Amino acid sequence: MPRVFVTGIGLITSIGNDAAAVTESLRELRHGFELYPPFQRDDIPVKVAAPVKGFQTDSTDPEDWTFPARYRIRREVIRGMAPHGVYAWCAMQQAIEDAKLEEADCSNADTGLYAASGGSPYLMGHMLQRMHTQGVMRCSPLGIVASISGTLNFNLVAHFRIKGASCGFSSACASSSHALGYAYDDLVLGRQKRMFVVGAEDGNVDSILPFAGMRALSLQADPQQASRPFDAARDGFVGTGGAAVLVLETEDEVARRGAKVYCEVAGWGQASDGHNVAISHPDGEGLRQAMAHALRAGGTPAEAVDYVNAHATSTPIGDTSEVRALKAVFQTPDTRPAISSTKALTGHGLSLAGAMESAFCALAIRDGFMPGSAHISRLDPECEGLNILRSTLAAAPNVVLNNSSGFGGANVSLLFKRAT
Amino acid sequence: MSEAVHNTQGSNKPFPFVMKPVAPEEESALRESLKRCSPSTFEAAIQFRKTGNPEHLPAVVIGVIERFVEPDLRVKLKDADDDLRLIEDLGIDSLTMMEIVILVEDVLQMSINNDELRNLRTVGDVKMFIDCKVRGLPLPKPTKFLPIEQIAATMPIQPPFLFLNEASVSSSGANAKYKISGQEFFLQGHFKDNPVMPASIMLEALGQLAVLYLLEGLTPEPGKVVNPQMIFFTGCEGVRAHRVCKPGDILTLSIKPRRMKMPLATFEGSIRVGQEKAVIAEEITLTFGFSEVAVQPVAAAAPGQENVNGAAPASSPLRVAASA
Repeated sequence: MPRVFVTGIGLITSIGNDAAAVTESLRELRHGFELYPPFQRDDIPVKVAAPVKGFQTDSTDPEDWTFPARYRIRREVIRGMAPHGVYAWCAMQQAIEDAKLEEADCSNADTGLYAASGGSPYLMGHMLQRMHTQGVMRCSPLGIVASISGTLNFNLVAHFRIKGASCGFSSACASSSHALGYAYDDLVLGRQKRMFVVGAEDGNVDSILPFAGMRALSLQADPQQASRPFDAARDGFVGTGGAAVLVLETEDEVARRGAKVYCEVAGWGQASDGHNVAISHPDGEGLRQAMAHALRAGGTPAEAVDYVNAHATSTPIGDTSEVRALKAVFQTPDTRPAISSTKALTGHGLSLAGAMESAFCALAIRDGFMPGSAHISRLDPECEGLNILRSTLAAAPNVVLNNSSGFGGANVSLLFKRAT
Repeated sequence: MSEAVHNTQGSNKPFPFVMKPVAPEEESALRESLKRCSPSTFEAAIQFRKTGNPEHLPAVVIGVIERFVEPDLRVKLKDADDDLRLIEDLGIDSLTMMEIVILVEDVLQMSINNDELRNLRTVGDVKMFIDCKVRGLPLPKPTKFLPIEQIAATMPIQPPFLFLNEASVSSSGANAKYKISGQEFFLQGHFKDNPVMPASIMLEALGQLAVLYLLEGLTPEPGKVVNPQMIFFTGCEGVRAHRVCKPGDILTLSIKPRRMKMPLATFEGSIRVGQEKAVIAEEITLTFGFSEVAVQPVAAAAPGQENVNGAAPASSPLRVAASA
């Protein structure tokens, strides 16, 4: 079975627009929250969000959008994109550059792309409103490909001339972890030699605020307090957007190209709660099973895990489920891994989360640190016995798990190891 | 659009201008729609809204097309003749064409359906199409592109005396290219050790293009077909040669009908090499006659039939292949 390595990373996130900036934010526990201007209205009780910086995508017309000067995007490319398509396009450029891939390395039958996003509710809403007010034939010809779920893979596959496997994944907040898991499988099965894994979200009013209805968002007006996974007083998640790209390659490709590697993808597992459409299993049953599968797939005992990047979004119910699942998997208190939720810094990226946090894990392994779980003033007593990191550890983890859970009780756990 | 075309379609009546006030919100919506177009585009659009005068349409249409063309190609639109092709010359794909259509619909407050769009291949096609829509005239026949084989099959004139390599014919005129190969028999003697395309032959080439127009373009009288055996040269006026043309030069020929009334058809013609003027003919007049057999309505539609049947050329800009 060929081994699989992470060889490139691209990031556009609320805590930095490239890997170096993100690493610094993770080490220093610098968050990306702000009193998000569109939320500062009396009729909107949610105040804080973690928007991407350096981009302006407020208009429904992509030609109005602005982005950092290092990127050039032609009209015919940007016209079919959602805001998160632009973030991902930029993150793709970074990842390709980082992995030192030539054009021919990206565009061949052995290189594929798996992506995940929730589509663009913003542009979908605009298009439907235009259809209802101006008439059916006045919808933008590219309104569909810019807005429906799948917009991310449509655009990236076309613009980066991807010739191998391509697909979009939709399991809400587990989506891009699923994408990474199945990309790994395709590499291990010899179907592909290289895979781009992409997660992205708009992270704007229309993608975040609908979660207010299910009372999933924090109503905290203090950006320092809004997202605090594992804190006893946590009251919901904070929305974010952006894009994360990982380049996965087989060991043969790594050797052939002489590529540098961040870490190895050592296996993954998934399991479902079979419990509720939107609420996690109270004991984290599916997530426990997913972690167990991942460890078994990687031939790794639970005691060997050094760090877990938790899914923990800062919702009262979700974090508790995960804490119980972690206790069930890591039963020996002495060898329990360090655990943190980087959503305390970034906010919750929904379909972006899995890929973004996988990139964080890869950076942690390469650069030798474990990011702390920020903003905890009083640890939830439920966490007692777990090693929740309160500050960043300057120690390199060898074995890392990254958890993701999505609506419908979909759970994915990804296993990364220091490359040897 | 030449006067000749409107005359032949019986539409030379002055357009009934009625000044309409444009509400401020309507004006600002129009300004918003056209915000990425040149100021003159907006100016033309607002004038059209106020007066309904179709004279403003070309400026609106060109302005909208320009806005969707990549900046480095816009220069081509500056001195564009109507023969500028949307796909080949301006890089406009089918989706961009839809964007153009939607903006034009929005600005001119009209609706255009897909079938009508299939045949729009040149800037001239688009201008003519919009003009006919606004005036409520029947839509023109699409521009036909004829390769050498088709030209030879149509024309009474044959090699080695045929001086058209490829041609496009629309109802408003015809254009063609001819590359001076150096193998033309007459160049052996014209001149000694110095091959120069005779001006008389260049005039002949323009005359040939006019013949092609009579056979493939707008018929001088509806329902009748010109007999290829009955077309002859009768005269020309105002002919000037501006440039010596030699082997390797590519002649771009262009003719437009000025008057057509049985048995005479008069055209204006010009030849360019690149951007340089080579020959101007103010008037070239041919005599023609109709075929004996009156043409059945079905047959009359025959030249455009490939389009009627939906078998538009694969490169037609309006064939959006939705693979969703």
